[in-house]
Amino acid sequence: MRTISAVLANRSVRASLIAVVAIALIVAPLILPAFTNQTLVRIGVYAVAILGLNIVMGYTGQVNLGQIFFVGLGAYVAAYGVNHDWNILLVFVAACVIPGIVGLFVALAAARLGGLAIAMVTIALPIVGVPLAKRLDEFTGGSQGTSARFTDAPDWSGLYNDQWQFYIVLLVTAAAFLLARNLVRGRYGRSFGVVRENEAVAASMGISPYRTKVLAFTVASIFGGASGFLYLAAVQYTSPETLSFGHSISLVAAMVIGGAGSITGALIGGAYYVFVPQLTNAIDPNLTAISQGAILLAVLFLLPQGLVSLPRVIRRLARRRTAPSTPSGKPPQNSPVHHPTTEAAVREGLETQRGKIDHED
Amino acid sequence: MIAPIPSIDATGRYRVAASLSLKGVNLHFGGVKVLQEVSFHVEPGAIFGLVGPNGAGKTSLFNCISGHYKPNSGSITISGTEVSGSAPYSLARLGLARTFQQPALLLHASVLENVLLGGHIRLPGGPVSWALRLPYTARAERGIRAEALELLNRAGLGWAANLPAGELSHGLHKGVELWRALLSKPALLLLDEPAAGLSHGEVEQFIQTVRRIRAEQDITIIIVEHHMGLISALTDRVVVLDHGRKLMEGTAAEAQSDPRVIEAYIGKDAADDAA
Repeated sequence: MRTISAVLANRSVRASLIAVVAIALIVAPLILPAFTNQTLVRIGVYAVAILGLNIVMGYTGQVNLGQIFFVGLGAYVAAYGVNHDWNILLVFVAACVIPGIVGLFVALAAARLGGLAIAMVTIALPIVGVPLAKRLDEFTGGSQGTSARFTDAPDWSGLYNDQWQFYIVLLVTAAAFLLARNLVRGRYGRSFGVVRENEAVAASMGISPYRTKVLAFTVASIFGGASGFLYLAAVQYTSPETLSFGHSISLVAAMVIGGAGSITGALIGGAYYVFVPQLTNAIDPNLTAISQGAILLAVLFLLPQGLVSLPRVIRRLARRRTAPSTPSGKPPQNSPVHHPTTEAAVREGLETQRGKIDHED
Repeated sequence: MIAPIPSIDATGRYRVAASLSLKGVNLHFGGVKVLQEVSFHVEPGAIFGLVGPNGAGKTSLFNCISGHYKPNSGSITISGTEVSGSAPYSLARLGLARTFQQPALLLHASVLENVLLGGHIRLPGGPVSWALRLPYTARAERGIRAEALELLNRAGLGWAANLPAGELSHGLHKGVELWRALLSKPALLLLDEPAAGLSHGEVEQFIQTVRRIRAEQDITIIIVEHHMGLISALTDRVVVLDHGRKLMEGTAAEAQSDPRVIEAYIGKDAADDAA
């Protein structure tokens, strides 16, 4: 484990690893069966929605139970655009921007209320959204839903439809993950974190908790809209069922299972969202709800930080086995250093710990 | 998308120490009068103490200055700008920085990330620029990281930069908070009970640190503190508060020999005995 992380820290190793993964992703749809491609596409679709949810909930700590509303809105906007022969780029932009604007207005109102108000407002979104989608049948096709075919592979490409869809989803998903990763590192990532932990500290650093929450919520809505566009690209059909509240809760569960406050966790969450229903169906179709609940609880008990923390936990267990007690009886690394008697003693204790950490990473 | 907050450049505009004036500040919570007609003036570059027994209203006054409380009446100006009632986050832009009585760090984030929070207002660019990682944001981030590391190194905390803040002692937390506040290049620094929970040696070290900071940069410092040793060692002037009123103003030595102050601290009978 030690050597693996040491190798990964090397910049050129990392760059070549990224290149290998990129090539694998580009080649994969050409050799994989159609069903596998479709599964991977669905993972991409939900990973983008969960990524947005992660920014507002995992990073900024604002409970959002209505992410599916923005996914559904993005899908409906995309369907409307496709059926009115808009340019595909315009469809994509509209499917991101319109949910983003709706999200911005919702957040401007809800974040002002503070506390659990954001959670309450977000619960209302899918609850209002479903009947609204049924009612506005001029735009949405009512209860029947609306279909939009726009992701059939063009003749010049020589690709099958599932391969073409894979590339569209791959492109958008990769861009979304790159942008999110950049955003959560640096200036805004730190302001998200401090608003989650302590708003008084945030304010004393010149960070407006209100604006930060609105920003995070708006970003999440844009990502939700992008996910809705991808959903339509993959499924080519959307209905009021798409934005039902149950799906929204599943997105939250997948986000937590993948790893709240982790970009990679969002991808794992997308895989969880797609695979777990398939898995539990395979075990026993009559017990899907129970086995899904059991998996959820098992992961939360064993890995409270989500599946993304698995390597970290394994490393910690391995370390515990090799070194059963820490040298000179110093407290183990995860417990805080206790109150100092003298500065020197603390320094010495921490120096010992630093030595250990340097060796690990 | 939200309009980006106007930022100051990485050269640090706020190198000139600020002045602070309070005129007739009143604060009450319901019927309880927490502060009554408090007025004083702090010259730029001074180290000013705010002392008084428990419940005297020191921390409430402090929170009025930092914008966390809004006074019911009266005026608070920083370098001539009226700030009473401003949102606390807007005061950082006037060069105000503060520490907290209970160190408020992100315990899971590294010490360096905690200190970097202080650099927030000095970094340029809105969320879109940062999401696209435009070259100027990447450059600013590298610059502020180098500066934060240098602050930590000079404070003898360089070894802790990449440790989670939760692994450090209480005394070191207070240090990290101080460096976080200083990374914003404040013109006015408010320290809320910096000696609370520190050992004798740590208090001595803190006094040296504050002296060094004052020698090196043009800054006004206001300290709320019980620890009279620290107040005497550092402050040019003090205001003594009791029951929300200003009891006296003068040097730390004058305050310690003032019978009214002794009375407020240890009670009337003991003060009579001492006299």
